[in-house]
Amino acid sequence: MLLPDHSYVKAESLEECLKTLRETGEKAKVIAGGTDVIFNMRLKLFQPEVAVSIRGLKDLLQVEELDDGSVRIGAACRLADLIDHPLAGGRYPAFRQSLEAVASTHIRNMGTLGGNICLETRCWYTNNSDQWREGLQGCYKTDSELCHVIKSSTKCHAINNSDTPPALIALGATLTLQKEGAKREVPIAEFYRADGVDFSVLGPGEIVTHVTIPPVSDRQVFIKITPRKGMDFSLGAVAARCDGEGEQISNIIIVLGSLVTAPVVLDKPAQVVLEAGLTDDAIEKAADLVRDELGEVSNLYGRSIYKRQIAIVLVKRALTQLREQ
Amino acid sequence: MARETKTVRETKVGTPDRSRRRPRFEGELGSREKTDLDVIGKRQPRLDGPEKVSGRSIFADDVQLPGMLCGKILRSRYAHARILSLDTSKAEALPGVKAVITAKDIGEIDVNGREPVFASDAVTYIGEEIAAVAALDELTAEKALELIEIEYEELPAVMNMRRALKEGAPLVDGKTEGNLWSDDIDNYGEVEPAFETADYIFEEKYEAGVTHNLFAEFHVAVVDFSLPDKLTLYTPTQTSYLMQHALAPAFGLTLSQVQIIHLNTGGAFSGRGSVRPHHYIAILLSRETRRPVKIFATGDEEFLVCRALGENKYKMRMALKKDGTITAFDMEAEMDGGAVGTEVGYFGWMAGLCNSWVFPLEGLRMRRRCVLTNNRPNFLGHGGLMLSTNAAIMQLINTTAKKIDRDPIDLLYQNAIEEGHTGLSGEWFASCGLRECIETVRKASDWDNRYGKLESYHGLGVGIGSMAAGAKGAFRHDTSAVMVRVGEDGIVTVYTGIPDMGQGTHTTMAVIVAEVLGIDPNDMKVIAGDTDLTPIDVGAFAQRGTIQTGNAARNAALDAREQLTVYAAGKLEVDKDDLVFRGGKVYAQNAPDKSMGFEDLVYKTLHGKEGRSVMGRGFYNSPLQFGTTSWSFGAQIAEVKVDPDTGEVQVLKVWVAHDLGRAINPLACEGQIDGQVYSAMSQILYEEVQTDAGLYLNPSRLEYKVPRSYEMPEIDYHLIETIDPFGPFGAKEIGEGIIVVSGGAIAAAVSDALGGEFIGEMPMAPWRVLKHVKRVQRQEAAGRSAA
Ligand SMILES: Cc1cc2nc3c(=O)[nH]c(=O)nc-3n(C[C@H](O)[C@H](O)[C@H](O)COP(=O)(O)OP(=O)(O)OC[C@H]3O[C@@H](n4cnc5c(N)ncnc54)[C@H](O)[C@@H]3O)c2cc1C
Ligand code: SF4
Repeated sequence: MLLPDHSYVKAESLEECLKTLRETGEKAKVIAGGTDVIFNMRLKLFQPEVAVSIRGLKDLLQVEELDDGSVRIGAACRLADLIDHPLAGGRYPAFRQSLEAVASTHIRNMGTLGGNICLETRCWYTNNSDQWREGLQGCYKTDSELCHVIKSSTKCHAINNSDTPPALIALGATLTLQKEGAKREVPIAEFYRADGVDFSVLGPGEIVTHVTIPPVSDRQVFIKITPRKGMDFSLGAVAARCDGEGEQISNIIIVLGSLVTAPVVLDKPAQVVLEAGLTDDAIEKAADLVRDELGEVSNLYGRSIYKRQIAIVLVKRALTQLREQ
Repeated sequence: MARETKTVRETKVGTPDRSRRRPRFEGELGSREKTDLDVIGKRQPRLDGPEKVSGRSIFADDVQLPGMLCGKILRSRYAHARILSLDTSKAEALPGVKAVITAKDIGEIDVNGREPVFASDAVTYIGEEIAAVAALDELTAEKALELIEIEYEELPAVMNMRRALKEGAPLVDGKTEGNLWSDDIDNYGEVEPAFETADYIFEEKYEAGVTHNLFAEFHVAVVDFSLPDKLTLYTPTQTSYLMQHALAPAFGLTLSQVQIIHLNTGGAFSGRGSVRPHHYIAILLSRETRRPVKIFATGDEEFLVCRALGENKYKMRMALKKDGTITAFDMEAEMDGGAVGTEVGYFGWMAGLCNSWVFPLEGLRMRRRCVLTNNRPNFLGHGGLMLSTNAAIMQLINTTAKKIDRDPIDLLYQNAIEEGHTGLSGEWFASCGLRECIETVRKASDWDNRYGKLESYHGLGVGIGSMAAGAKGAFRHDTSAVMVRVGEDGIVTVYTGIPDMGQGTHTTMAVIVAEVLGIDPNDMKVIAGDTDLTPIDVGAFAQRGTIQTGNAARNAALDAREQLTVYAAGKLEVDKDDLVFRGGKVYAQNAPDKSMGFEDLVYKTLHGKEGRSVMGRGFYNSPLQFGTTSWSFGAQIAEVKVDPDTGEVQVLKVWVAHDLGRAINPLACEGQIDGQVYSAMSQILYEEVQTDAGLYLNPSRLEYKVPRSYEMPEIDYHLIETIDPFGPFGAKEIGEGIIVVSGGAIAAAVSDALGGEFIGEMPMAPWRVLKHVKRVQRQEAAGRSAA
């Protein structure tokens, strides 16, 4: 599996990078740590003519505390560097847990936060080589109007399989998006779209430059279930945070990851525990409601019935852990 | 290659006469004394360890020959289709392409007389070879493949055994009358009477899924056949010998004109035992282009070319007496052979036998049906079919014990054979430490205080098993030969044809030779795996390495020693039979001060009047006409924990006791135990090729789940030495005897964690285990409400 022919641009500055991206348009692909994008190029899922590296862009490498106590993290920061950073992993336990949960040491040494947030959605069809895929027709993500995973579907159901987004959503983080001549702030909770092909609100030539996490209480948790330890994508993941003392809580956010096309913020279960407190009964009831909120779970890696059960277990575990904090 | 399906073949062998203690051997058995050994029994690190871990070992893919081309294979994307047209002209026209070959270019050559090198009129499985190119570089070769135009007409395919055996099912390849490839029944002893007089009969079904061998080293062949009278092939293999024998006649060459070099082999697990289409294709491309050619499999291609275990379904019936005596087994196996009929049936026979001869049965019936489907041609994986068979039998026995209110370990102990027993198929067990193994793990694990008393969702399971060391008759012959060259500087080099696929057999050979010559194995060299250079050896399978090649090494070393005694006896003025070779010295048995250094002796032997250069030669051939002289035995206990919410199983600890005859190198033996416990756990709990209409959905090392070092349980090792009369210094085997028993113990432990629920699916993946958890919980709830 060789890389397709392409040219490589290592931008010297953010401006130059954004300019290149505008000029090259659809032909370009951003490479950060490259741990996923290079892999997908080998599979010929991406065949960019120009690979634009954003590694080493100074503007995207800082971690700083803002006046209001928020922390702003550059998108090109490596996951490994953020785990122990006093302002990142050190300050937000759930964020730290999610960073540690990504792949293996080697991949965290290369992979970046921006790459994790913008990780291509995954499914068993497109995560195989082009030669393998030729055995079947194309799909929504490649060149046909069909989906192999959910045959009757009218859209792509590939999953958002990355670990930091659920945690960042629970923590109320905001993303800074920039393209040449324009900059905007988007809450990460509104960043993802329910479509495996066009899975984020990023526009042409636009990249994530920063992630800003507001100050929050320490009652937060991230849990992921994998077939094996040390190197695996999640079968399902959960992040949750709340304020308050003991069973009495306020401001709770529960987010499921890796089950469907975008992270899912669970409203009804949150409502239940907000009203009744984190009692055994309420946790049980909240977890039971997960099924309804999840929508269609496809058998993208792992059986769908099983994944639903995993989701319920995750929510129960997260709420129980929150109660103990 | 017209095929015909076989009709049922049924054999019947009566109960052997068990009154004769040694029914089948003539002549002397070896000494059973635990002699005072110096090198054997010490923890000897692998001789090639530093080279391997520092990345200096050479594998076939490292070989670069001058002018070498890159070969690539075009494979079928359909499970069953007619090839309407095949046009290679565009590929041939691509600059940089040196050859494009298809079925019509290669004449009569086929693979092992059984399958075509290239599909011609139809393809019968996904991944089947259709054409191949040789080009200056990989990119060009890949492009050339894309330019080959094929028109297919899809044909109905049968993707599982149930459908394949249905009346009127589409035929897998149109060459057979039905899709049943073989149907064999073997009866040993008195089967029906045993079932008729049984007090209990228990029956269970067990299904094992498709696996991949996941070799560290991918499939690769580097060939130089640029001259018509010399064919050189570098490839990882378990047997360069059998490859040489297959390839020489296929290409009209003499054996000596075919040189197979196997360098290091990165894993084999019973999957590298024969010549495969990619070997033939590399040879054909090299012949065509008159240049060396390398073919190597890429990531997902690796999954297509590997011939591992297919789907296997078992039905096990067991007859017992009230007192717990197991009197008979009736086992039926249905095996998916894939699109090319294979000898899988034979291995099913082995699996049934070796998992039942640990019991002194009255009767054994085994039926094996091998079914053709449009799946990948299946073969073997680590532990073969013996692993899944043991997992089924041991689960059956552990759950049965609960049902009849017995402790499973008592039941196994009561039924375990002892030394001198004659099995139903005639095997005579000259050494057998099975009961000692059971007692050892029972004590070490504190079984009596813990079984049945663990916290909920924790389980303990016990398994026993046995493995043949060598299987004469399964291959052309069973001779291994070894040469021992004693260098002028006293450094000894061992020449052997046996491949080291990671099992450490080269170090074992060095240790055996070192023991005989009284030298340090760390100073030795082992030259292996080049048929031009090394003496005959059938190869590394059927656990024949230590016993066959090991005996040959011992004989070669004895020959060299004999040559050295000539000078030493004269110089030290002692009878040559009184000489002791030990610790780098040669001395008189009763007068140790009469001594000389080994190196000095070698020098003087060469520079003395006789001028002898010492070269020992030895060979070994089992004294039997057919079969095995020696068997290992083992017992293991596994402890597991099941997460009742997710169905995840964690293996906490495994206690292993293995009667291996003698531990030539305890360090390597423990390494074998680690690797096999790992692999058993991996197959019982994790490994599964997921398929959809013959297409592999998870052909990558990320998605084909195997556990990692984090999942490794703690292991408690016990090497039980029974000093077998046939093995070199009493050694038998530790090559596959462990994995089989680990499988049984782990499967039984999971079942115990769920209160004795029989889990009839392998792998016991979390979603399957969770289904059983829910079932058990429902039953418990029903039981509670009824009460
Ligand atoms: C074996 C293996 C296991 C893995 N396991 C996990 C896992 O457990 N959990 C997990 O979350 N991930 C996992 N990954 C995926 C991946 O390695 C990580 O998500 C990593 O964080 C990606 O970061 P990167 O910088 O390498 O991204 P890249 O590969 O460089 O980029 C990923 C995608 O994001 C885009 N991109 C990158 N940066 C930006 C930006 N700033 N703005 C806009 N677009 C951008 C790229 O164009 C590309 O499409 C695994 C990968 C491998 C190979
Ligand atoms: S889930 Fe998306 S990527 Fe996967 S097959 Fe369906 S459309 Fe294609």
